[in-house]
Amino acid sequence: MYKFFPLLFLIISNLFAYEDNKYTLGEGLQVGSLPLYIGGYISLDYKHQQDYDSYRIDDLSFLVYGSQGKLSYLSEIEYKEFYVKTKEDGITTTQTNTEFLVERLFATYTLNENTSLRGGKYDSYVGYWNLIPINVLRETTSNPMSTYILYPKYTTGIETLYKNYNYEGVFGLEVSIQNNNDLDNEYNNYIINKHYALSLEYEQDLWSIKFNGGYFHIIDTTTSQKKRYYMMFSTKIEESNYQILAEVGTQQDNHHNFTTQYAGYIQGLYRFHEKHITVIRYESFFNEIIDKKDNFLVMGYTFRPLYPIAIKGEYQIHKESKDNAAFISFSVLF
Amino acid sequence: MKKILFILFIISLLEAKEYIVISSKTMPTLTKNQLKRIFLKKIRIFNNQELIPLNLPTNTSIRYSFEKNILQMSRTQLKAYWTKKHYLGVRAPKKQKSQEAIIKFIQKVPGAIGYIEKQSLPDNLKIVYQWDEK
Repeated sequence: MYKFFPLLFLIISNLFAYEDNKYTLGEGLQVGSLPLYIGGYISLDYKHQQDYDSYRIDDLSFLVYGSQGKLSYLSEIEYKEFYVKTKEDGITTTQTNTEFLVERLFATYTLNENTSLRGGKYDSYVGYWNLIPINVLRETTSNPMSTYILYPKYTTGIETLYKNYNYEGVFGLEVSIQNNNDLDNEYNNYIINKHYALSLEYEQDLWSIKFNGGYFHIIDTTTSQKKRYYMMFSTKIEESNYQILAEVGTQQDNHHNFTTQYAGYIQGLYRFHEKHITVIRYESFFNEIIDKKDNFLVMGYTFRPLYPIAIKGEYQIHKESKDNAAFISFSVLF
Repeated sequence: MKKILFILFIISLLEAKEYIVISSKTMPTLTKNQLKRIFLKKIRIFNNQELIPLNLPTNTSIRYSFEKNILQMSRTQLKAYWTKKHYLGVRAPKKQKSQEAIIKFIQKVPGAIGYIEKQSLPDNLKIVYQWDEK
């Protein structure tokens, strides 16, 4: 029931939001003169594989956020896989999901120029891809496999972030603690009740490097090896017209058996025009739980008529041709 | 006489424009890196004071110069940056209509910081950074 309050607020606030505010796509709208802003995003995608097609209205999301002094706050509620139609081996199935889920809900208190504290449900501070995971802002329709299997995408707990600017670059340290069930656990790739994580990063000019390590405990009864440890290295180089991004990690259980021997990718992106971007990504993983190993190439193209609109095409070439896949997606951030 | 006026006109075009970043007298002088972090909202609190960076309208020459020399980002990069920040719950700096509006805002609101032409500096505000646009 509580999930409807942000939506109700959104509808009512829209009645006042237009008064003196000029709206720009991708920037949200202020609610009157309150320290509160509303926005959202939508994404639709199509996937084709051998004898398989799916059409989805995947994300239908609403954002409410703001700040007052040292305190800032954000709420994101979403319909996930709002509509899904699949055709597999000649059989068509349709599913709708009209349950609102809480994707993020947190408050952040900024202590000073170096330190902030966060509490609630937030994107796990792991790597770079997971920090901006939504379709309209990421570079391909698909996500790298490593982001699904190495670590929990979301953490419901408390987090402290420290940044030191005394070096030529910026040094960052993040510690996150979850010792409770997830908020809306359907929305996480792992259903957990514990997640302890550490992040170390260094950023200088155009490049940055990050190390993540953590432990999480799965409560999903269908999963064996419930205690998992992970480690991941990430690096990024970003210039005005290109980006190179790489992440690689490993995961073990509490008996030091690999659950994922390795999972990683290296991705190159080139913006040959502000509206036209090409992406190439090589991924490799070996997941011991499902005994699956794969190396594959992802080739993508994104057209952004305006930055908050992304029209994407993507083709994946896998080790086994039956896994090859094509994607098309359309997404908008309001 | 006409020749002198013409030469003075050419000289005025070639002279560097002097721009300044201003704030209240309690704000210390800042480095370019600090300014960049403030205007990209990577730092929100400084010396226990909430910072309120201010921008001029997008089509002003000062703003272009500020983005080029201080933020070192193109308009396209900034659009992408602030769109991502919107998802993360962070707003771009407040926009003021004119340099006079920036001055009035800074004079009234603690923690406010903005950029103007040097010749417009009022006595009760402080220069925290200065740059030239040739």
